[in-house]
Amino acid sequence: MIQQSLYEQVLDYANRANPYPLYAQLRQTPVTRQTDGSYVVSTYREIVSLLHDPRIGSDFRKRSVHDRPPAGLSTNKEQAFKSQVPEVGTEASASNEGSETEVVPSFIGLDPPEHDRIRRQATWPFGPPHKPGRVADMESELICLANRQIDTMKGKSSIDIVEDFAYPIPVTMISKLLGVPPEDQARLHALSEAIIEGIDLDPQKSQEERKRRQEQSGQTFKDLEQYMEALIERHRKHPGSDLLSGLITDYGPDGPMAQPDIVSTASLLLIAGHETTVNLITNGMLTLLRHPDVLERLRREPNLVIRLVEELLRYEPPVQILPNRVALADITIAGTIIQKGSPVILLLASGSRDPARFHDPDKFDPDRRDNMHLGFGCGIHYCYGAPLARLETQIALTELVRRLENPRLAYDQPPYRQSATLRGPRHLIIEIDGVKD
Amino acid sequence: MLRIVVDLNRCESYAQCVFAAPTVFWMKDEESLEYDYAPDDSLLVQVERAAAACPVQAISICWLDEQLEQQGGNHSEQQ
Ligand code: SF4
Repeated sequence: MIQQSLYEQVLDYANRANPYPLYAQLRQTPVTRQTDGSYVVSTYREIVSLLHDPRIGSDFRKRSVHDRPPAGLSTNKEQAFKSQVPEVGTEASASNEGSETEVVPSFIGLDPPEHDRIRRQATWPFGPPHKPGRVADMESELICLANRQIDTMKGKSSIDIVEDFAYPIPVTMISKLLGVPPEDQARLHALSEAIIEGIDLDPQKSQEERKRRQEQSGQTFKDLEQYMEALIERHRKHPGSDLLSGLITDYGPDGPMAQPDIVSTASLLLIAGHETTVNLITNGMLTLLRHPDVLERLRREPNLVIRLVEELLRYEPPVQILPNRVALADITIAGTIIQKGSPVILLLASGSRDPARFHDPDKFDPDRRDNMHLGFGCGIHYCYGAPLARLETQIALTELVRRLENPRLAYDQPPYRQSATLRGPRHLIIEIDGVKD
Repeated sequence: MLRIVVDLNRCESYAQCVFAAPTVFWMKDEESLEYDYAPDDSLLVQVERAAAACPVQAISICWLDEQLEQQGGNHSEQQ
């Protein structure tokens, strides 16, 4: 049997619960070339410098290494669908055998200047300068929503933080934000799940199995696209105060967003809303239950949550890896030359645990002052949803800790989702003595 | 009294502070941030959220003691 590289071990599901020792080993060599020609970057300084480097692109169409997909990912141009969250929404419509694939990536899969324009258009109805209060104004609604979910735990002695709490909150909010009618939410939940399962390819699975899943995922993405097109039509006719209506009707100096860009942007936001914050909230509760002294402090000092969430983003980030960057030129970094056209994989979660940047990095310390973590990336692709994810998690954890009586882990450790990139528990079963009002 | 200082040399206009505390921080145009350096104390939580959200740690919060200020100024840094 061929020896797995360190990065392949990170992708290996067996190491999902604790990839951090592998990251520490990877950091011994800041930039490592993989056998498939991709480069894995694991140290803070190198990740930040590449994320600010205009010679690093996000548009996978600029890749020249097509012969073999990197472990766990796919670069094959013929595949009907290409999307790896967090580069989610990079979509391609089905192609006939041998014909060119038509690709309409969302803004996270684009480079300047297109990226900058579409991101500005997407931000126009969402945040400053045009709608600066949009996220902050969601606070009271979020508090209500969190408490409604906690109310459902009354009378139970055992709850699943994922199903009962961490999933419903961001999903309800993103659906509301996009103007998805409540009766469609279950269907979108299923679609989003199927897409993520299909694109997060386990290197352990056989080639045929991976291909089958990719195709399925491509079909699912087309279903989502069709759903979005119909939803956009409805909002065009009857615009509301939601973000999708804003994307369609309320545009700024860059003019209206083109229809395919609205579809890919809305799909991106929907999937990101389903698959990222759920893990931040769940990782947060897991980390608190593993640090009962901090949990107790949070109960007494609710404002501690603000820095605590930043520390979570450093210590247990939901997005561990940016797997889909590409070198647009030869780049010399840390004594290695990354060749033009090579895929570049940035291990954000490893950078945020780099002892060269953070004091005592493996310690969860909510009082940490110097905390320029990579939880939301950095540079031009800094997470679009960060303001919402922060507020949701701050409120979710505060309310949970305030109301649950004597919460404790039913067992440590929880089962994890498949993905190494969007890492988090599938279930988090905790026991409680009751729920306060 | 609450006081804010933003190191505008560090600021990279991510606008994360504007999302978190939209009445305290605002973008003048695409590039430049403006802010109320003396917001009402009731906005403390929003301001703390803004400072924590800044990706380049450009925002400092201080408490200014009115009496001490009249005597020649004194403040304690929180950031
Ligand atoms: S969050 Fe920080 S970098 Fe962004 S605009 Fe505010 S001060 Fe500047």
